[in-house]
Amino acid sequence: MLVLFETAAGYAVFKVLDEKKLQEVDSLWREFETPEKANKIVKLKHFEKFQDTTEALAASTALVEGKLSKNLKKILKKIVAKDAHEQLAIADAKLGGVIKDKLNLSCIHSPMVTELMRGIRSQIEGLITGLPSREMAAMCLGLAHSLSRYKLKFSPDKVDTMIVQAISLLDDLDKELNNYIMRCREWYGWHFPELGKIVTDNLTYCKCVRKVGDRRNFSTSDLSEVLPEEIEEDVKAAAEISMGTEVSEEDINNILHLCDQVIEISQYRTQLYDYLKNRMMAIAPNLTVMVGELVGARLIAHAGSLLNLAKHPASTVQILGAEKALFRALKTKRDTPKFGLIYHASLVGQTAAKNKGKISRMLAAKTALTIRYDALGEDSSAEMGAENRLKVETRLRHLEEKGIRRISGTGKALARADKYQHKSEVKVYDPSGDSTLPAVPKKRKIEEVEEEETQVTVKAKKIKVEIKEEADVEEGELVKKKKKKKEKKQRAEEEAALAEEPSTSTAVESTEKKKKKKKIKVEQED
Amino acid sequence: MRPGFSPRGGRGGFGDRGGGRGGFRGGRGGGFRSPGGSDGGFRGRGGGGGFRGRGGPGRGGRGGGGRGGRGGFKGGKKVTVEPHRHEGVFICRGREDALVTKNLVPGESVYGEKRISVEDGELKVEYRAWNPFRSKLAAAILGGIDQIHIKPGAKVLYLGAASGTTVSHVSDIVGPDGLVYAVEFSHRSGRDLINVAKKRTNIIPVIEDARHPHKYRMLIGMVDVIFADVAQPDQSRIVALNAHNFLKNGGHFVISIKANCIDSTAAPEAVFASEVKKMQQENMKPQEQLTLEPYERDHAVVVGIYRPAPKQKK
Repeated sequence: MLVLFETAAGYAVFKVLDEKKLQEVDSLWREFETPEKANKIVKLKHFEKFQDTTEALAASTALVEGKLSKNLKKILKKIVAKDAHEQLAIADAKLGGVIKDKLNLSCIHSPMVTELMRGIRSQIEGLITGLPSREMAAMCLGLAHSLSRYKLKFSPDKVDTMIVQAISLLDDLDKELNNYIMRCREWYGWHFPELGKIVTDNLTYCKCVRKVGDRRNFSTSDLSEVLPEEIEEDVKAAAEISMGTEVSEEDINNILHLCDQVIEISQYRTQLYDYLKNRMMAIAPNLTVMVGELVGARLIAHAGSLLNLAKHPASTVQILGAEKALFRALKTKRDTPKFGLIYHASLVGQTAAKNKGKISRMLAAKTALTIRYDALGEDSSAEMGAENRLKVETRLRHLEEKGIRRISGTGKALARADKYQHKSEVKVYDPSGDSTLPAVPKKRKIEEVEEEETQVTVKAKKIKVEIKEEADVEEGELVKKKKKKKEKKQRAEEEAALAEEPSTSTAVESTEKKKKKKKIKVEQED
Repeated sequence: MRPGFSPRGGRGGFGDRGGGRGGFRGGRGGGFRSPGGSDGGFRGRGGGGGFRGRGGPGRGGRGGGGRGGRGGFKGGKKVTVEPHRHEGVFICRGREDALVTKNLVPGESVYGEKRISVEDGELKVEYRAWNPFRSKLAAAILGGIDQIHIKPGAKVLYLGAASGTTVSHVSDIVGPDGLVYAVEFSHRSGRDLINVAKKRTNIIPVIEDARHPHKYRMLIGMVDVIFADVAQPDQSRIVALNAHNFLKNGGHFVISIKANCIDSTAAPEAVFASEVKKMQQENMKPQEQLTLEPYERDHAVVVGIYRPAPKQKK
C-alpha cells in the first residue's frame, strides 16, 4: 500500500513495508515512536519537492478545494505507471474520489489511514531524509503567509503604506528643493544678482542658469524656450550692466551641477505627485472625490493607515492635524479649533470665512463615511463619494443663499422672518375710518373758502387771462376730483408759498385758483 | 471625539483607546505628547516609546511620535519582575501587580498594551502586560490553574486566534524555539493576525475553518498543546478532530468553554459537565476544570491530556 502525504516542502509518497501491522489500529502508534521504528514500517518512495512558493501555493490551494494540482497529477501518473495495483492511502476522502475518477487509482481513507498519517507526521523529519528541518520550517512559514494572503485576496494595489511614504517623501522633497533653490540663488547671485530679481519663478531661474552659465554668455545665448520675450530682453540688458563679480570656470561648473540637481528633483517631484494621485484613486477613490488627493493622503498619513483613519469618529477627522491647538484650548477651557487638515480641502477653501466652520463639520461627517466605505467596503467604486460630495455642495449652496431652513423641529418649514418695517416711516393718523356715515365728497370748510376768495381778489387780473386755458383742461369730473385732492395738498403748499413769496405768484398758482373758482361755480350750479 | 484627556497622566485620548480595565489601563497615546512631558518612566522606561499610538493593533510606528499614557504605573516608580510558577510567564510587582510576558519583539506593542522595561545587568529586557479581561488564558493563570502546558519551546495549535492578542502572548511564552499555529476563520481578524505574524516568526497564520483540519494539513506538524477558544456549540468535536490529526500522544489540550454559547438555557455547570463527557468519549482525558470568575461570567477552562501513555503495571 502507498501513502500520499502532503507537506509544505513537497509531496511525499511512502510505501508501507509491513501491512500486517496496519491491522492493529490501536497499537499503530507504537510503531512510530522512534525514527528507526518508523522507517521499518514505511519507506519514502518518492519525494516531489516544490520549486518555489508559487508552486507550493498552487498545490495548497488545490488541496484546500480538494482538487488535483498539476504536480500531484504528475506524481500519481508515475505511480500508476509503476504500481497500478497498489492502493493509495490519502487523508481527504474527497480527493480520493477525484483521484479515482481521473487516474483510476484506488484510494483508501479510514481510521487506520488517519492513524498512519499521525504516525508519519510525528516522524516526518526522520522519514524524509535530505530535508533539513529548518528548510521545512521556512517553507511552512512562507507557504502559510502566501496562502493566507491569497485567501484574504490581498491586493498590492490596496496597500496604504505607499501613500504614507509617498506623502512624507513629497514633503521632504519640497523642503529640500526649497533649500537647494535658495542656495542656488544666493550662490549665483554673487555673480549676477539682477537675474534673481527679474526672474521670480524658481524653476525658470535654474533652467536659465543651466542654459547660460557665465554672465558673459547671456547676450549670445537664446533663452526663448525658458523665458518669455520681454523678460529675456530685460535679462540680457541687465547682463551687460551687472554689478556682480567675475567667477571662474570651475565655480560656474559647480553652480551648474546644483542647477541640474534642482531640475531633476523638480521633475521627480511632479512624477511623485502623479504617482500619489494614481495610488490615492486606486486605494481610496471615495475619499479622493470628497476632499482631494493631497488632503486625503495627509489624513491617511496622519492616522497611520486607512484602517486606523476609519476607526476615528467624524469629529476627530474634522480636527485631525490641529491637536496642539485642540489640547491647548481644552486645557485652558477656551474654544476648540474648528478644522485641522480638512481646512485645505477645496470645499472648505471656497466658502466665506464665517461658513468655514459649518462646512468643515459637514464635510468631516460625510468624509468619515467615505473613509469607512473605502477601508472596509468590498467594491471600490467612487459613486458613494460623488453622492456625498453632492450633498455637501447642496448644503453649502443653501447656507450661502441664506434660504435657511429652520434648524429645530422638523427642519422642513422655511424660516419665516417678520416683515421689515422702515423705522423712518412717519405714520399719519387716517381719520377716514372714524365716521360711519356714508362717504360724501369732501366739503371744504368755510374758513378755507373765505381765504381763497381773498386770494382770488388779489390776483383777479391774471385769473381772467387764463380762464380760457382752464376751460380746456377741466372736462371730466374725475379730473376735477383729482384736482380737488391735489388742491388739498397744494393748498397747504400754497399757503406756505404765499407766505414766503407773494410776488412770485406763478401761473401754476393762478391756474389752481382758477380751478377753485370753476369748482365753486360748478358746485353752485349743482 | 472622546476627550479621554486627563491632565495628570496625559493619556491624550484620541479616538480608539483601551480604556480602563481592571488594574490595567490600555495606556496608548494618540499620536501626541502628553502634556507635562511625563517621560520619567520607571527605572528603565515606562510604556511609551516605540508605539506610535495607532488604533487597534498598532505596529510599526509610522509617522509622528506619540507618547502613551501611563495608567496605573506612575513614572519613576521602581518595579521588579519575577518569574511565575508557570514557565515563560512573569509577574511585575510595583504599586500594582501585573501578569507579564517577555516581549519577543522589543519595542513593539501588539494591541496597545503597556510595556515594561527592566534592566537586568547591562541587558534591557522588555515585558508586555497581559490583560486577564481580554485573554482567557491570562484569566485562567490568575485563577490559579495548575498546568497550562504552554512552555518555552513548545509547539502550540491555537484554535480561534482572532486578532492575535492572546496569540502574541503565547508566542512570547514559547519563545523563538517554539511554534504557534494560529487558526482563524474570519477575514477581518485574519488581516490583523497576519500583521502580528509578520513581526513574530514563530506564529504561523492559518486562515481556515477549524472544523476541517484536513484542509490545512499541509501547513501543520505534530503539536504538543492545543489551545481552543472557538466559542462554537460543537467545539468539542472541533477540538477532537484537530487532536486526532495533529496532537501528539500524551499531548495536552486547554479548552475555554463559554456556557452561553453551547446551550444558553441550561445551567453553566451542566453545560461544562456535558462538554467534559463529550471529551472523554473522544479519548481526551480531562484533568482539571476552572471557572474564570471574576474576569468572565459562566466561562470555564478545561485542561486535559490526549491519549495518555498507558500506565505501566509493575
